Amino acid sequence: MKRLLREPLLLATIIVIFAALGLFVIYPVLRVLLYPALRDFLALPGNERYVTATLHTCVIVILSTSSATVVGFLFAYTFTRTTVPLRRLFRGIAILPLFSPPFMIAFSYILMFGRNGLVTYTLLGTRYNIIGWHGLWLSQTIAFFPIAALVMEGVLQSIAPSLEYAARNLGASGWRLFRTVILPLARPGVAGAALLVAIYVLADFGNPVMIAGHYTVLPTEAWARISGWGDVTGAAVLSSVMLIPAFGLFLAQRYWVGRRQYTTITGKLVLLTPPPTPWYVRWPLFAFCALVSLLILCVFLGLLAGAFSRGWGFDYTPTLKHWQDVLANGRALINSLIFAAAAAIISSLLAILASYLVARKTFPGRSLLDFVAILPAAIPGVVFGIGYSLAFNAPPLDLYGTAAIIILSLMSWNIPMGYQTGIGRLKQIAPSLGEAASNLGAGSLRTFWDVELPLLKSSLVSAFVVSFIRAVTTLSVIVFLVTNRNVVATFTILNLANDGYRGAAAALTTALLTLTCIVLAASRLLFGRNAELFRI
Amino acid sequence: MSGAAVHIDIRHLTKRFGGVTAVRDVSLQITRGSFTTLLGPSGCGKTTILRTLAGFYEADAGDIFFGERRMNDVASHHRHAAMVFQDYALFPHMTVFENVAYGLKIGRVRGEELRKRVERVLADLGLDGLGDRMPGMISGGQQQRVALARALVMEPEILLLDEPLSNLDAKLRVTVRAELRQIQRRVGITTVYVTHDQEEALAISDLIAVMRQGEVVQYGTPWDIYFTPKSVFVADFVGTANFLRGRICEVDAQRFALEIEGTRIRVESPGEGLQAGEKAVLSIRPEAIQMTSAAPDGTEMNILEGSIRTYTFVGQWVRYWVDVPLRPEAPPLGLVVDVPDPRERGILEGRVFLRLDPRKIHYLQGA
Repeated sequence: MKRLLREPLLLATIIVIFAALGLFVIYPVLRVLLYPALRDFLALPGNERYVTATLHTCVIVILSTSSATVVGFLFAYTFTRTTVPLRRLFRGIAILPLFSPPFMIAFSYILMFGRNGLVTYTLLGTRYNIIGWHGLWLSQTIAFFPIAALVMEGVLQSIAPSLEYAARNLGASGWRLFRTVILPLARPGVAGAALLVAIYVLADFGNPVMIAGHYTVLPTEAWARISGWGDVTGAAVLSSVMLIPAFGLFLAQRYWVGRRQYTTITGKLVLLTPPPTPWYVRWPLFAFCALVSLLILCVFLGLLAGAFSRGWGFDYTPTLKHWQDVLANGRALINSLIFAAAAAIISSLLAILASYLVARKTFPGRSLLDFVAILPAAIPGVVFGIGYSLAFNAPPLDLYGTAAIIILSLMSWNIPMGYQTGIGRLKQIAPSLGEAASNLGAGSLRTFWDVELPLLKSSLVSAFVVSFIRAVTTLSVIVFLVTNRNVVATFTILNLANDGYRGAAAALTTALLTLTCIVLAASRLLFGRNAELFRI
Repeated sequence: MSGAAVHIDIRHLTKRFGGVTAVRDVSLQITRGSFTTLLGPSGCGKTTILRTLAGFYEADAGDIFFGERRMNDVASHHRHAAMVFQDYALFPHMTVFENVAYGLKIGRVRGEELRKRVERVLADLGLDGLGDRMPGMISGGQQQRVALARALVMEPEILLLDEPLSNLDAKLRVTVRAELRQIQRRVGITTVYVTHDQEEALAISDLIAVMRQGEVVQYGTPWDIYFTPKSVFVADFVGTANFLRGRICEVDAQRFALEIEGTRIRVESPGEGLQAGEKAVLSIRPEAIQMTSAAPDGTEMNILEGSIRTYTFVGQWVRYWVDVPLRPEAPPLGLVVDVPDPRERGILEGRVFLRLDPRKIHYLQGA
């Protein structure tokens, strides 16, 4: 504390960050929790719709998490430890869903496998309908297995190849090697990946709102409460219920598995030349990865086909007529990009500054700051959205219908992305660099500006990229906040799709995706590669 | 040295980390312009003291004075005690010139003066022409000099060095430490140096504070530390020592003796304050023992007969491990003996006679 008083500027910075996080993270969540009266919560078990939504949520979280984790593991295993042909291509395809809006997969599967689906109806002539729980299950599996795959890729890579060779040297091979060496070492990573996926599935709004039909889950039921009945209390009750498992999963992931997993990941990344995989393993894995990759490519094919076809399901004549709708919704597209860029810039700067304070300074409340900075990762977007609509709709902070409410909500929601990147990077930067600057006369903030920030540039860029993608593609956070004045593209797409304008929705999604890629390419050109030029 | 002004005054300094006391009630006075080394094994608290001087740690108890000024509440960036870090801590995103200029820029030195001062110190340290390089593009020895240049350009009154040579290879370390000593003498800067390398400490310091478990166990000149260590720990840590454990006998004003398992070792050193019969430990350096394969004539003192267990050839001398059987039932006394000039004498084997120079045996207090 004495140290802080010696540096008023540092103290002021810490206070401002605490105030910002308190106002823009804690306060909206508290508003959601405190909005309903106790009897509203007590009425919950008596409400059939609520109970159904809760049960549905439980079922789908278990189903989708299990399948996404299994698919993710098989992919991760394929690209780290086998000689399956085309495994690098599979990896490239597997990360595509991370860049797409969450509802896009569900929407595209309706185009491909729905009642009028290109595959199911036009090609196969069936009247199969994907809408319902099985459609949701498929889309969530495809949407979230890449997260599991990336986490487990790190874990599997960190298992030193020498261990595998040592086991072979001792006579183990094949299934026995996998079961006694690889699997036990990967277990914490698998658990961590599963918990992370579960958090995403639980909070998922885009896929169920598109494809689940009458199979309501908590986020969609909360939205239905507000948009259909104007029942804010009901929405707040459902959101609060969602927070319980969300927190549980989050805490388990972070404090139970997360720690252990971290220690295994920090090991040296040794590029391994895996011993040739036997054919009876290689070809099944190949077939499996090819099938999943095909399902991912289907998403983009369906989207493009939808965007350029005259009438989905009966008239596939190429047309540009949907692009007139895109032009008509130009403002929503521009808004999306501007809001997301603003939110991502503020969010990553704030998050990196917070990570510097936590990693390098001692002050009262440091572990609290650490907790609050990663807290938004645990909060489902729906809760954030409802919280903002409750917290900032009256003076002194009446932001209803403004750009500010969207930017602020997206900014706060994305802080953990930049924060965790920053903390990870700061662990690799020797603390003596900052001490050297201090020793030469630089105060804390000057040190941050001159030394840590330039070295954190690559983290800043990656934090910006991740935050931007999340902000531009989210539906759950903004669906409660948009009006005619601050409409964004994802919301327009949802409305178009729900109203049956599938071609227009597909075209607008394609446009949004293309513009996002252009922004990312531009940011890569601007700060891109030199970010990784120097290493400590 | 005596009478010179105290520049750094550490009074009853204590520093804890959680439940571990890293530095325990240390008081140390460092003379202006001196080169003082904190020497000790890892975890002894030497780096903690240095970092507390730099202001990176806050003292839990005790005071630190630079001259008359109490420094406890002065922030690290206002202390003007330049530090050279073990890993150099060169800013990887700045050129050599920018690294050296960094502190001056913060001190609002600008333009021509900045350029002149940086270039002068670069030239002094033989770094001319490297100003535009990035730290990653120069050798380890050069990086070490840049780190030193960055500290010296500030013209600080105090220079703090945290094992600055430990990342250099053995040959370079010897060259650089001689240079370092020269520069320090020329500039007359009060220097505190931290190392765990006793040879380096002996070679470079005016004064050495030997530390153990958070405390200073002996503070003195390299000569004192080497030839009159106060404890078994110091004798063992600084250089190599043979320890003789037994009971005091034959005490008089000029000499005394030690009885080990019935054998008497005579020591030519005043025996005042010693009691016959008390337990004691003596030390003798390996180079103070003479070794021959032929039996001496019998008039010599302190002759022990033993057999060579093993040896190692170092170049300028050969180090032998000799077992001296004192009593048939007791384990033999093991002694380390250095024999210089192996070219002349060859490698000895088997049975040998040792002569322990009675003037070079040292009584360890409080052992």
